Amino acid sequence: MTWLGRLLRGRRLEHELDRELADHVERQVADYLAAGMSEAEARRRARLEFGGLEGVKEECRDARGTRLVSDLLQDLRYGLRVLRKSPGFTFVAVASLALGIGANTAIFTLVDSLILRALPVRDAGALVRLKDGSWTNPIWEAIRERAPQLVERAAACSNTRFDLASGGEAQLAEALYASGEFFDVVGVPAMLGRTFTRDDDRRGGGGAGPVAVLSYAFWQRRYGGAASAIGSALTLNGVPVTVVGVTPPGFFGPTVGRSFDVAVPISAVERLEPSDRSRLDSRSWWWLDVIARLRPGQTVEEATQALRAAQPQIREATLPENWRAKDLEQYLREQPLTLVPASNGFSEVRGDYERPLLTVMGVVALVLLIACANLASLLLARANARRQELGARLALGASRQRLARQLLAECLLLALPGAALGLLLAQWGSRLLLRQITSQQGIVSLDVSLHWRVLLFTVAVTLGTALLFGVAPALRATGFSPQDAIRQQGRTLAGEGPGALGGPLVVVQVALSLVLVFAAGLFLRSFSGLATRDLGLDDDALLLVNLDAQRSGKALDRGALFERVAREARTAPGVAAAAVSVIAPVSGMGWNNRFQVQGGPVHADREASAWMNAVTPGWFATYRTALVAGRDFDARDAEGAPRVLIVNQEFVRKFVGAGATLGRVVEQEGEPGKPRPPLEIVGVVKDAVYRSPRDPAEPTVYVPMAQLPDADIWPFASLAVRSHAGSPAGLSRSLAAVIARVDPKLSLTFRLLSDQVGAAMMRERIVAMLSGFFGFLALFLAGLGLYGVTSHAVNRRRTEIGVRIALGADAGGVVRLVLGRASWLIAIGVVAGAVISLLLSRFVEALLYGLPPRDPSTLAGSVAVLVGVGLLAAGLPARRASRIDPAQVLREG
Amino acid sequence: MPEARTDLPQGTLDLLILKVLALGPLHGYAIAQRLQQISKDVVQVQQGSLYPALHRLENKGLLAADWKISDTGREAKFYRLTAKGKTHLGSEQESWRRLTEAVSLILASDGEPS
Repeated sequence: MTWLGRLLRGRRLEHELDRELADHVERQVADYLAAGMSEAEARRRARLEFGGLEGVKEECRDARGTRLVSDLLQDLRYGLRVLRKSPGFTFVAVASLALGIGANTAIFTLVDSLILRALPVRDAGALVRLKDGSWTNPIWEAIRERAPQLVERAAACSNTRFDLASGGEAQLAEALYASGEFFDVVGVPAMLGRTFTRDDDRRGGGGAGPVAVLSYAFWQRRYGGAASAIGSALTLNGVPVTVVGVTPPGFFGPTVGRSFDVAVPISAVERLEPSDRSRLDSRSWWWLDVIARLRPGQTVEEATQALRAAQPQIREATLPENWRAKDLEQYLREQPLTLVPASNGFSEVRGDYERPLLTVMGVVALVLLIACANLASLLLARANARRQELGARLALGASRQRLARQLLAECLLLALPGAALGLLLAQWGSRLLLRQITSQQGIVSLDVSLHWRVLLFTVAVTLGTALLFGVAPALRATGFSPQDAIRQQGRTLAGEGPGALGGPLVVVQVALSLVLVFAAGLFLRSFSGLATRDLGLDDDALLLVNLDAQRSGKALDRGALFERVAREARTAPGVAAAAVSVIAPVSGMGWNNRFQVQGGPVHADREASAWMNAVTPGWFATYRTALVAGRDFDARDAEGAPRVLIVNQEFVRKFVGAGATLGRVVEQEGEPGKPRPPLEIVGVVKDAVYRSPRDPAEPTVYVPMAQLPDADIWPFASLAVRSHAGSPAGLSRSLAAVIARVDPKLSLTFRLLSDQVGAAMMRERIVAMLSGFFGFLALFLAGLGLYGVTSHAVNRRRTEIGVRIALGADAGGVVRLVLGRASWLIAIGVVAGAVISLLLSRFVEALLYGLPPRDPSTLAGSVAVLVGVGLLAAGLPARRASRIDPAQVLREG
Repeated sequence: MPEARTDLPQGTLDLLILKVLALGPLHGYAIAQRLQQISKDVVQVQQGSLYPALHRLENKGLLAADWKISDTGREAKFYRLTAKGKTHLGSEQESWRRLTEAVSLILASDGEPS
């Protein structure tokens, strides 16, 4: 019989063993009887000669070699029975483990896919990228020219979006501009057709017109995976491009958190996104990411050194036109070019969420620690309660290791379902989180399916936990002699006795909980400060329509087009107010220039800068930004009329200085040789949010769209619409119809301003939400732990308390007695927690808004909450203690 | 009766069992009896300790066992030597012979260096 057979057929083997040994004894007895012995004597002799029956059986069982496993199974069966008998304990234990492990796995899954995981490409370790931001096409071309001397190969890329619809509401596809060798550099071959070649770098998008490579997912979605997609035409931003290839399913693009649908050569940019100046030739249009593959054996440092040696030449070849001498002086000189490893790709999302994610990772790690401490004290209390049982088993001959193993098996029985539930929770949690950080504008797509690293991590956490809280009670359980255990019968007259380990565990829980509650307090206050901040505009019920006029042609007067859109939009049914601006608040876009008010304070270079926006009349009323002085723009402010501007209060404070504001003349900086005319201030508005609700009020100027020179107007603008009543989201269809009458080629995307503002505060909201949730959880667990330890202590001291009451102690005295120790535990825990909080607080500084990391009132509040919960948790058993009936206790004793 | 017993050296019980079973299948009690008879009562194992040895040899594949009706009409577990057991017995016997020869040579010498 094989080992497995012996393991599975254990019961039959036991039966056969019994029969075989009984048969032996019977035969011996029969022989002795035949020899004339009496029955009783024969049996006695036979058994004596055979030796200890149970001992022989044990040895035979050992001979099977299945001992370890069958014992384990037995332990597990027994453990299951024990746990079923105390469902409350089992529930709390499994639930807190599941929460701890689930939260850790969920966050780690995100950390892994956002930060740790390498791109699914050939030898991702050899990929490097040019550090810090984007580069101009001339710089990229200068690098490409020198690449063979520097690295194995270099490539450039840039993310964008294309409209697949031919007008009206946009149907956006995530897109990637890639240089000819891009796919070779990242090491992704075409699954179907071809990827790009150097030939595709020729201006206009390759020799035979622009081409496109599709991602696997887009190919499946749009073409149903048909091979005939190759060679077919796809319309991007109204321009037909030829599909030449499909990438394999695992590749989502170089940018983590963003998966591309379609890639086009960089050379096609001017066809697909026409602009007034050439994006390929512009020496001050920074839009490309540069990546490279190292030569075998080449280090990042060597490649960086080689690149820096070429930096002066690259600088000379790409000096921007029209820059001020001062800026030119610094161009590509102050910052040496640096290559950094790019095995995990690059990511905008990573920059935004790396620190919050790591912070939350720390938070959930603490939660797991608290859950473990909680379990350890629960198990300790149980081990004490079971001393009698364990003592009896020791007395019956069980070895200490065997008992310890039994307790460990029980722990595993808690840890494994806890881990399994936790994994489910993690799957659900990481998806939920991902949905939370995904907004309409920034679709974050990450692969959060289970990954071996995540799996390994969970298993490590689970086993670590099982050991952590399984070993301590197990060690203690075997540390006393059976006689003591049985004699004591779990009752002592006074004193702590065993169980002293429970105290330190509670202190740890209280301390860690305080850290979490403090962190939660900081993040919640920080978020609420941000959320309730006066934005200077009314973001409720305001619909934004992003207008993309790239297909409306260059020659057109865009200012007039946008003015007409605003006018027509006001005629749509249900529209109360509508206006257009080139920049929408909180859209992530920005436009600035340097200003000088005549007679105002003179600011140095960077300080002289203010945000700009160009708006149509009625814009402030539409956004409900209050006009403080002067007037709004109107029909007077037409092209050719005196040039005017409206400024915000911060601009007045910083640039106007003393004297009247209205009527003051503002000089704006132009490009060398192209001065811009001075402007007159006709109005002052309240400070309103420009880029992010996190930014403090910044100087901002508004100019009338009608007076903006055409060259300054991009083919993008934002129409803001306020409805008469109800949500303006329902207006999108009638608006689309009205706008189509103005220009059917305009591409539109709709969005609520409140969503846009909400998305800008997403990071704070998520961190506040998570830390609040976990802070509450920690508080609950700590309370539970304190309650458990205190009621355990009360049970142990029942006799003592009964005697005290019999001798005349009043209820208050008993409560004080019980609370005394609990208060000490809370006090030590709170002090330790406060110290840890203050030490750790600087790590979260960057995530706080308008709050110092060591905010004393938040700390005081957290301490108060914790002390309150602690006293409540200890107070319940204390009250119970004061009601002990001395007569009953004395009868029991 | 259990006087003048000789304790068996480690591992010899296995060899003796294999040797006894080389003559034909036997049940446990018969093996114990046979060991005693053949050794003229010199070798007398604690009967219980026979069984762990039998089970060990069975699990190693040197012995096989079947339940059969014995001469007394009762069912008993009969052990028999497998092919593997036969080879094992051969090699064990050979090494035992060499060992005992060597030991008796040493014991026969007068202990002086020659």
